[in-house]
Amino acid sequence: MSTGYLILEIKRALRAAKFLIFTVALPILMFVFLSNLGEGDANAKASLMVGMITWGAFSAALFAGARVAVERDAGWQRQLRLTPLSGAGYLVGKGVVGMVVALPAVVLVPLVGALGQGVTLDAAQWAQVTAGVWLAAIPFALLGLLLGQYGTADSMQSITGVLMMVLAMFGGLWVPLSALPGLFGVIAKILPTYWMSQIGASALGSSENVLTCVLVLAAWTVVLGALVIRRYRLDSARR
Amino acid sequence: MKEHGAAVSITELTKTYGELRAVDAIDVLIAPGEVVALLGPNGAGKSTTVDMILGLTTPDTGRVLVFGNTPRQAVAEGAIGAMLQNGTLLDDATVEETVGMIASLHRKPLPVAEAMRRAGVEELANRRCTKLSGGQRQRVRFAVALVANPDLLVLDEPTAAMDVGTRREFWASMREFTDQGRTVLFATHYLDEAEEFADRVILMRAGKVVADGSVASVREMASGRTISAVLPGVPVELLDDMPGVASAERRADRIQLHCKDSDAALRALLHYSDARDIEVSAAGLEEAFLALTAQEITR
Repeated sequence: MSTGYLILEIKRALRAAKFLIFTVALPILMFVFLSNLGEGDANAKASLMVGMITWGAFSAALFAGARVAVERDAGWQRQLRLTPLSGAGYLVGKGVVGMVVALPAVVLVPLVGALGQGVTLDAAQWAQVTAGVWLAAIPFALLGLLLGQYGTADSMQSITGVLMMVLAMFGGLWVPLSALPGLFGVIAKILPTYWMSQIGASALGSSENVLTCVLVLAAWTVVLGALVIRRYRLDSARR
Repeated sequence: MKEHGAAVSITELTKTYGELRAVDAIDVLIAPGEVVALLGPNGAGKSTTVDMILGLTTPDTGRVLVFGNTPRQAVAEGAIGAMLQNGTLLDDATVEETVGMIASLHRKPLPVAEAMRRAGVEELANRRCTKLSGGQRQRVRFAVALVANPDLLVLDEPTAAMDVGTRREFWASMREFTDQGRTVLFATHYLDEAEEFADRVILMRAGKVVADGSVASVREMASGRTISAVLPGVPVELLDDMPGVASAERRADRIQLHCKDSDAALRALLHYSDARDIEVSAAGLEEAFLALTAQEITR
């Protein structure tokens, strides 16, 4: 796989305007809007910021992965199978694209937080809420890839849209779980989005241990990665 | 020809889908530099054969070698370029990006501009693939196949969406490719394309190769007609020597003349004043070709 190929893939992914609205513009807008609703508690603002970084990053990785459904539908995957690009190379490339398109939210939401909303953190905390949360998007890139290999180009739009909402809402990214009945706290722990946001939140003094978050997300990564590879093999053998 | 010197060597190749034997134990050897048309009606097994040559489909039994390697190895080495049937392009990329993307994956690609020039899509370079006509899309897909700079080019129904003018241009740019001594295998159901362009025709029907030879020889087989008539008393040997007749047979009073030139044979036959109930019919390969041309009309 060459860098030329990756760059073109990334260009294509960033070209979709709808995509940038959901993954960058909406998280920023919601952050600014919600953080000025309350009484301006600095801690609440910081944890809201983490929620919005998480939302933007995971949905970008998820959408980017799911877009393989379009290529699969169109027969482009077959065309790629006639090049030296291996199946592993294709999947890794798509995963990398998912991680790259998750970056704008990880960069821009904290910038808005620091410059516009008066969020102040030390360097280690900034690193954890940006780089840490970004790395935690890996399982979502894989989840997208997995879905993209099942659905058609049309069905994928609605499936990933609904899934994104469920993962964001019940993962506690939009509304703090402490403001909701206890059941929501239990549901959240089932979802990888909760653990992804806790990577950032633990830097702000949340109760979750960062190591626990890493382990849970690593487990999601291994399982989803194995499913992606299995599905890809079955899919190519069938066609 | 030795198997390992061949561009494509197919041995006892079979692929079954449920009850259907899509490809039924075919053997084919294609020498480097040959331009071969794979001809047959829909469902003859052309696309399945092509997919197995490309390594996209795994055969049930039998073997395909491309330049002595398995199809997967040949693909990994960039030896094969292909235009697939119903293959689509990337809707969110320009023509140049699409061709460039494929080029970036190959080890010894043609320059992107060169591939676009040869396929006649230079002026479309910055056009989004969604904004192309059917014929233009086909030419872009041809550029995608060319940019691999392959030794073997495989084309599955390459001119399906093209109008007459575009088809002519397409074959002209194809000649540029074959003039360099590269091997081409194309599946088609346009008989005229096979005649005009191929050195050799492989005719498939119901998963089997029913004819394989030079265009001229297959055409000869194809144009053969049979004359049937009631003609008592004339010995078969005499009929055999009639102008235009390849072979003759007799069942009771009725004779059958298998003809190279049925017009000449018919004139000769009419010298026998007691010949009656004369029927001229197309037979064998001609029927296969008729089936093909009939499909061409309905498309």
